[in-house]
Amino acid sequence: MRNNLIALLVFAILAAAPILIGGYWTGQLTAYLVYGLLAMSLSLVWGYGGILCFGQAMFFGIGGYIMAVLTKGMIAPELTSSYLGLIAAMAGSALFALALGYFLFAGRGISGAYLAIITLAMALVLERLMNNWYALGGYNGLLNVPPIKLTFFGASYELWDRTATFYAGRAVVALVYFLVTWLLSSAYGLKLTASRTHPDRLASLGYNVLTIRLSVFALSAAIAGLAGAIFVTLDGFASPTLIGFTLSTDALIWVAFGVKEMLLAAFLGAILTRTAESWLSEIFGEYWILILGIAFMISVVLLPKGLLATPLEKLTGGKGR
Amino acid sequence: MSELIPIILDVSSYILILVLVALGLMIVFGMMGVINMAHGELFMIGAYVTVAAQGAGLPLMAGVLLAPVVVGFLGLLIEAALVRHIYLRPLDTILATWGLSIALKQLVVLTFGPESHSVTLPIDGSLEIGAFSYPLYRLLLMATSILLIGGTFWLFTRTDFGLMARAVIARPDTAASLGIDTRRMYRWSFVIGTALAGLAGALVAPIISVDPQMGLGYLVPGFLSILVGGAGPLAGVLVGGAVVGGVNNLLAIWISPVAALITVYIIAILIIRLKPEGIMGGRRAK
Repeated sequence: MRNNLIALLVFAILAAAPILIGGYWTGQLTAYLVYGLLAMSLSLVWGYGGILCFGQAMFFGIGGYIMAVLTKGMIAPELTSSYLGLIAAMAGSALFALALGYFLFAGRGISGAYLAIITLAMALVLERLMNNWYALGGYNGLLNVPPIKLTFFGASYELWDRTATFYAGRAVVALVYFLVTWLLSSAYGLKLTASRTHPDRLASLGYNVLTIRLSVFALSAAIAGLAGAIFVTLDGFASPTLIGFTLSTDALIWVAFGVKEMLLAAFLGAILTRTAESWLSEIFGEYWILILGIAFMISVVLLPKGLLATPLEKLTGGKGR
Repeated sequence: MSELIPIILDVSSYILILVLVALGLMIVFGMMGVINMAHGELFMIGAYVTVAAQGAGLPLMAGVLLAPVVVGFLGLLIEAALVRHIYLRPLDTILATWGLSIALKQLVVLTFGPESHSVTLPIDGSLEIGAFSYPLYRLLLMATSILLIGGTFWLFTRTDFGLMARAVIARPDTAASLGIDTRRMYRWSFVIGTALAGLAGALVAPIISVDPQMGLGYLVPGFLSILVGGAGPLAGVLVGGAVVGGVNNLLAIWISPVAALITVYIIAILIIRLKPEGIMGGRRAK
């Protein structure tokens, strides 16, 4: 319960942010919110599901490309609804995750380090594929993706304005956060923990471990797909970098900085790392990446629970779930 | 037929380099269960040692000899400062060495710049038999690689060190109780693995373009080779390297590099899925 209060506080602070930081930073912060959503999806699959996915940006990118292709009317000019795009992006990412997950987890299954390498390889393949898929823009990507258009009973509103987009993004992120938190505190969350820590015992109790793993993989992919779909509407373009390897590993760093077993910490890890990056990369220039790499190493070795988790755990008074 | 031989030789030299990279990875992984994501960067640094040697006016041979020493020493430092602390947390080794690879890559960018460098061939000539001609350096590269691979196999299967190493791999606790210093075995295996990567990088530097991003292009195929071949017997890495490297290079020549890459990864993932213990069998990491 205290955990939820902290989360409410975080989202309340975010709500006040546009007043304090001005237009440019509001736009940036919206993008960071979306990265935070990606980090949450990785925290869900890795921290709770025990599936170390080195290619989480695959789902982000797939969602982004589906959204771009649909809302640009490249499939059918009459099907450009933003709602449809968002739903299709989530469904497409989830389906891809189901197919990939079935391959990886069924039978004796692949886990741990092997899984990390294979998902990394898949992200590389997809990035290479998008770079060479000329119908989808190839290396340049797809330009002029329209902003999200909200329609209620005939009235419609396009999310051009930075502040409005920020609040819409914040609403989506908060909704996803509380839905996933609720899901994790239900019986499903218990099964998920068991599938991570004692899969054999869970199976002997009559549960299907494969179904649980697939479901969390697909759910996390859907969230990442949603993030990707929102992201392409912010800047108006989808490019192969969204799907690839750099964003995947960035997400991994955010989540590890936060801590993987805590959605909120992962979310904040993304936002804070990105904010720090935009300030510090100006100060340190090219040394910034060096510092980031070293900081990441130190954080993994000395603070296996993450930089943010320790203070947050004190605040929430427990394991944070 | 005469067009085919150079292709086979090109593919073979790629496979041999890949096997050298994969062998280093596998020693570290098999021995300690550590996945070294910075292995590709150590390979890259090996190549940069030859760039630096060339810049200092030294012959390439000096660079090739220096590379394993420099990179092996780096490996010693990495083992002592980083890997030693996280042996018991195998998944964290992936993340920590990933951070290391980011840092090393950026260090090279800061020192040598982001652009690619080229290293001049130390031996210009070609071997010519009738209509057939092939660069001598590549033949030398292949011969050296075969010697190195053979030497590594010999070290791990025929010497006391190898016997102890295999004991540590199979039963670490029993090996320790029999008086084998497992800490020391881990350290030197790690150094051997990294030195092999450095040497492979230095050997291959004259025939590819050397840039800070080159590591990943060998790391992932190297890992796939281990997974495809099987992490148990050393021979697994030969089979895996041949499958991954062979398919990749042949398809790159016949179709396109992109199609080759995609096909290789898909084939590798299929093999790993259908035969999780690899073609040659062996133990599987949990």
